Amino acid sequence: MDDVLRMTRAQPVHLVVLALIGLVVLAGMYSSDRFATPLNFANVQDQMVALALVALAQTVVILSGGIDLSYAGALGLLTVVFASIAGEDPASFAAAIAVVLSLGVFIGAVNGGIVTFVGIHPLIVTLGTSTILSGLALLITRQPTGSVPLFFEDLVYGRIGMIPYGTIFTLFLYLLAGFLLWKTRLGLRIYAIGDNEQAASISGVPVKSTKLIVYALSGFLAAVTAIYICGRFGVGDPRAGVGFDLKSITPVIVGGTLLAGGRGGVLGTLLAVIVLALLANVLNFMNVSSFYQWIAEGLIIIAAVSIFVGRKSK
Amino acid sequence: MSEPVLAARALSKSFGPNDVLKGIEFEVHAGASVALCGENGAGKSTLIKLLTGLYHPTSGHVEFNGNQEDWSSPRASLDAGIAVVHQEFSTIGALSVAENIFLDAEPLTRFGLIDRKALVSRTEALLDKLGIHLPARSLVDELSVADKQMVEIAKALRSDARVLILDEPTAVLSQNETRHLFKIINELRARGLGIVYVSHRLDEIFEICTDITVIKDGVVTSQGPVADYSHDTVIAAMVGRELGNLFPEKPHGAEAGIPMLAVRDLVVADGVPPVSFEVKAGEILGLAGLVGSGRTELALAIYGAEAVSGTVLIEGEPLDYRSPSNSIDAGILMLTESRKDDGLFLNSSVARNFAATTPGHGVHPARVAIGHEEARARVMKDRFGVVVDNVGLPISALSGGNQQKVLIARLLENRPKVLILDEPTRGVDVGAKSEIYKMLRHLADEGMAILAISSELIEIVGLCDRVFVMRDGELAAELMSQEISEEAIMSVAAAETSSHHGVASNG
Repeated sequence: MDDVLRMTRAQPVHLVVLALIGLVVLAGMYSSDRFATPLNFANVQDQMVALALVALAQTVVILSGGIDLSYAGALGLLTVVFASIAGEDPASFAAAIAVVLSLGVFIGAVNGGIVTFVGIHPLIVTLGTSTILSGLALLITRQPTGSVPLFFEDLVYGRIGMIPYGTIFTLFLYLLAGFLLWKTRLGLRIYAIGDNEQAASISGVPVKSTKLIVYALSGFLAAVTAIYICGRFGVGDPRAGVGFDLKSITPVIVGGTLLAGGRGGVLGTLLAVIVLALLANVLNFMNVSSFYQWIAEGLIIIAAVSIFVGRKSK
Repeated sequence: MSEPVLAARALSKSFGPNDVLKGIEFEVHAGASVALCGENGAGKSTLIKLLTGLYHPTSGHVEFNGNQEDWSSPRASLDAGIAVVHQEFSTIGALSVAENIFLDAEPLTRFGLIDRKALVSRTEALLDKLGIHLPARSLVDELSVADKQMVEIAKALRSDARVLILDEPTAVLSQNETRHLFKIINELRARGLGIVYVSHRLDEIFEICTDITVIKDGVVTSQGPVADYSHDTVIAAMVGRELGNLFPEKPHGAEAGIPMLAVRDLVVADGVPPVSFEVKAGEILGLAGLVGSGRTELALAIYGAEAVSGTVLIEGEPLDYRSPSNSIDAGILMLTESRKDDGLFLNSSVARNFAATTPGHGVHPARVAIGHEEARARVMKDRFGVVVDNVGLPISALSGGNQQKVLIARLLENRPKVLILDEPTRGVDVGAKSEIYKMLRHLADEGMAILAISSELIEIVGLCDRVFVMRDGELAAELMSQEISEEAIMSVAAAETSSHHGVASNG
């Protein structure tokens, strides 16, 4: 039992998030007949996959004591590059995937390299690279551009009952990340340096290479997200990533992962992504201005962290 | 006698012009436990860092199993069999006991994944062997400080060590926990490990060590089997230096002034006995004791930063609501021990730093003239002998001693009645030290009450009119004028009380 709790990194705050999911679902059922339908549930899932993927990347980076704000620019450039290469035939599609995944890893490795070897705070480094990548994307095109093969769009929009393939893919990656954090040396190293970098270093943990891998992984997941976004919208958009820098942090924090690193896990992030997506959907049904959604999100962030802090200080 | 497991041969280490260690000869034999004694700053930590490869010697060498070794890193010495339990914990709260002990040496399955079952079973076997009772799966966060220390020891011994170095391992342990640690140490020794034991607590040394090596000012002043020593001879080897003319003369037969600061039944934290004392006008009272004996905590409690209960009176008037800002208003000011963290604005000018707590002092707040700070700072500079060309320069350009002078001058702008100084000359060169001592004596002569905390015994002895020696949070002894000596302070500070650490109070 102990091991199960530790493996899933379950925390009391997750019960609060679950309760919140219940409340939002009730509110949704009360506000509209169309809420509790397979079509709507599939719709909610489609809305949340991209956020779930970048939030997963952000969770791993934050656990290691860092932060990655480069998604805003990276997603824009990566979608533009992908849609420009992908075309209609399988060969160029495969090439586009290979190029974009490598580019994502490269962007992450550059971030990680500057953070570890130059010693600049990741907030500054990734803000800088994000801005550079945005500029590059806009140099390539000002308008959404390119195309993706139809079979890929069909795949992204396809679903089994009310479960889109995207959801299954996302859940698979979350499981994989959870496995990585629990069953590999890399996972333990991530928690160790996130909690206490100096102690980890004294204990023989290779701090620099671990950080480098973490940022590279983050870049890889950003590339995966970019490919998914292209499948959803059929084009590459230099502004596709706008807002994802901060939006990717919200579910990590609401899900109980400590911003300072070392504590938390991917389960909380997933639950938080679900609650945020449901909330947006329900407020939509209630015909509430989307600005109220911002207000609600803000309140949830502060409330979630307050509960966490309150519990710790006792 | 057999060959030592670990030895230092004519080992010297210099940092720039400072010779920290000078020709140290030191041996640890299998099955022996050697106590490493010395005052703060004597060079014990440097010796340990040389033995384990964290530092490289300037001359001389380290010998392990009879071979000359030049460790490339602490990892190399650890792999060879030298395990160290550092004073600062290297445990990681977010990981479990097992994950901590085998961090980065976890047992792996054939697929390169962590073998969770083996990790737990190997941890349990190791803890069992050491007689430590801890659940392998618990998060280290949830453990007591003492249990974290046990995790640290288990981690040091996860592979077969030949030598175990313990740096002040009992500083955070209670009596029972200390007892348990001693049992473990004795078992390890019986199994043939060589132990190096660093501690200030003499009773502990006499209980579990077989040999003693005393270091003073980077030189071995005495070494031999523990049977040849008594408390007094160890202390005599640790201390003893000429006061010289570093200190201003103390007023002889000073008539007692009125009590400026009075502390009544002040309880600093739960479980610490209440403290009561007075500091009179014109007096410099010293608070001596080992690091961790509760000196800083007591000072902060008087200042209003932390305390459970008790009364603080200024000139007989009790302070009702206690907080640092109320204390400042009432006339208590404190200079904290960490200059850079708590006191200085490193990127601002000397003048700005000096005037920070009293901006626009002496003029209407709405009419602070441009250059007012600089004008005041120039007066201060001459008065306190701060060495700086221009008070507009950033304070980071000044030496530690001059920075400290500016900070003390800043405190005085608030016209304190009571001045509390925590390590007033840490990181300050000898010349500036002497000037700071003169400054403090001058302030006392003018009627201020001064409470000084210092880890440098010579400073307490040379400067203070009266001294309280603290131990485990209580005032263990009061020393008056002629009684104040390094030996007297050390013998109280390093003794053990039956209430807390008393492992050998009856023999």
